[in-house]
Amino acid sequence: MGVVILLVMAAGVAAMLTRKLPTAFALVLLAVVIAFLSGAPLTGKNSVLDTVLQEGAPALAATMVAIILGSWLGKLLDETGIAGTLVRKIVEFGGDRPTVVALGVLAVSALVGTVTGSAPAAMLAGIIGIPAMVAVGVPKVTAAGTVLMGIAVGVPFELPVWQFFSTALDLPVDTVRGFMVKLFPFALVAAVAYVVIENRRRGTEHAWSLKSVSARPAPRRERLGDAPWYALLAPVVPLVLALGLDVAIIPSMLAGVLYALVTTTRPGEMNKRLLRTLYGGFEVAAPPLALFVAIGILLAAVKLPGAVDALEPLMKAVSPQNPVLFVIVFTVLVPLCLYRGPLNVFGLGAGIAGVLIATGIYPAVAVLGMATSYNQVFGVADPTSTQTVWAAQYAGVSPQQVMVRTLPYVWLVALGGMCVTAALYL
Amino acid sequence: MSASRAPVTDGLAATDDIGWAVRLLAATPTHEHRDPELLRRWARAADAFGAALAPVGCEARVVERDGGLELGLLARYTSRPPTVELFTDTLALAERVVDARGWRDWYPPGSVRAAALAHEAVHVHLHHGPAKAALKHALGHSALRLGRLRVPGHVAGAEEVAAHAYARTVCGLGRSPLLLTAALAAEAEARSGSANGSNPPPARDARREN
Repeated sequence: MGVVILLVMAAGVAAMLTRKLPTAFALVLLAVVIAFLSGAPLTGKNSVLDTVLQEGAPALAATMVAIILGSWLGKLLDETGIAGTLVRKIVEFGGDRPTVVALGVLAVSALVGTVTGSAPAAMLAGIIGIPAMVAVGVPKVTAAGTVLMGIAVGVPFELPVWQFFSTALDLPVDTVRGFMVKLFPFALVAAVAYVVIENRRRGTEHAWSLKSVSARPAPRRERLGDAPWYALLAPVVPLVLALGLDVAIIPSMLAGVLYALVTTTRPGEMNKRLLRTLYGGFEVAAPPLALFVAIGILLAAVKLPGAVDALEPLMKAVSPQNPVLFVIVFTVLVPLCLYRGPLNVFGLGAGIAGVLIATGIYPAVAVLGMATSYNQVFGVADPTSTQTVWAAQYAGVSPQQVMVRTLPYVWLVALGGMCVTAALYL
Repeated sequence: MSASRAPVTDGLAATDDIGWAVRLLAATPTHEHRDPELLRRWARAADAFGAALAPVGCEARVVERDGGLELGLLARYTSRPPTVELFTDTLALAERVVDARGWRDWYPPGSVRAAALAHEAVHVHLHHGPAKAALKHALGHSALRLGRLRVPGHVAGAEEVAAHAYARTVCGLGRSPLLLTAALAAEAEARSGSANGSNPPPARDARREN
């Protein structure tokens, strides 16, 4: 039966890869099929309806709340001009040195990446950051990659991601935080190396573009002044509270929302702005929320006793126990997290992680190391991930060009993460 | 040619060269919130800077190639290795647009190619020499002021305005290449509109799953 379950998983990956089914729908379908194949009854204990669907759907509720708060804060950073001001200041200070501007946009992207993820994060940093880099001579592919690499620097400190791995892998937040702190230097070094090396290799680029002026006058846009300097600290407030002062994730994020609000908004306008950005945040959060409902359902399915019994011998046979082999095998398998592949942690990879833990093949913290290492690759180089698609299209290049340019750097980040995992937890 | 009947392009020439430079700056990210009068001051300063530049030679390798209309480019300078690419299809379209609009007095035959080379030569000049600091000084924008301390600020897009002003001056054009760029943009838009039937979806609407 284990082989049949794996074949069903492969079919699910094919459906996602070929875009026959959206990832969230494919994961739910997979979960129901796996549950039936595992011999789960329709209702009752360890059943399809009561356990997989009813208990699985809200399993990642804490993550979903964190996602909503992150999206809310992201909307506030956008509406209050905090993100735009950060980028503008960087261009004004470093504009005649493209590498300096790119490093500045990288830093802003990292800050944004600690608050929110996916395409909204890329938009926050990239809507002004990408054309601003192109305007000072950074080539387009390098510019798109810079925003993505920057967001990936922030991801180890993205509080909703801590909450996700904590809930999904049943680990304390402290353990997740401890590993993320170890992963961060790899992400930072790789991102800085990307900006410096790629700018040096590709040099600058200036074009006489037909898009530089339009025959139509530019539409009147809402004029946002610069946000005050102390408001620019808003993205780091949740981080300081959660990382430095050990405050729980949701209150830390709420504090960030309040800080961004009171430093930029007149008292009379606060209620209106809070509600508007909160509802806007729901819209931004909708895709990841759907995905987290689906992942919760899939995790519930692969943890069913029948599924664990069926998959355990197979997974044990193919999973390396030797630390060196662990690093080599799982680093070589990095491309399997691209194109919605089976190791994508926001897809079937979450299910595989659940199987590895439920069957006791690896300790949960080792699976955390593996999954977060893959997450650093997926978030930057996957041509089907929304932030990569958005950043590439907005820069006027293809997601595949961005993948080719960034993959070597994030592959090294994954290698670093695997080495730390093997050294500390195997 | 659709340029002659597209209503949005009526009166392009009525906007003066500084007006086009202001539009270029206004369309450059980081200037969304700027006062139009400040943009006009910067446009004038950058235009004057470019027009006053001593003639500079272009030592970069010059390559002619096709595919400019697809990329939306007329010319491109890349620093590694120093190369100027001239897109022949866009240059050819530019010559046709000049004829169709009756602008031949402003842009004599072959002048668009010469302007493209001159434009990119300024980018080479600004990239390798001290002229970039001089442009910053001419613009007079401060990124930071602390008492006597003043950190000059970069004005995105000003280099482009200066390059066009330089090309206009050294090639003896009657009007800025920016006017021709606007006409080309309108022509390219009309072409892509008639080819696609509608505008492509913006990147913001890319399918979102996570």
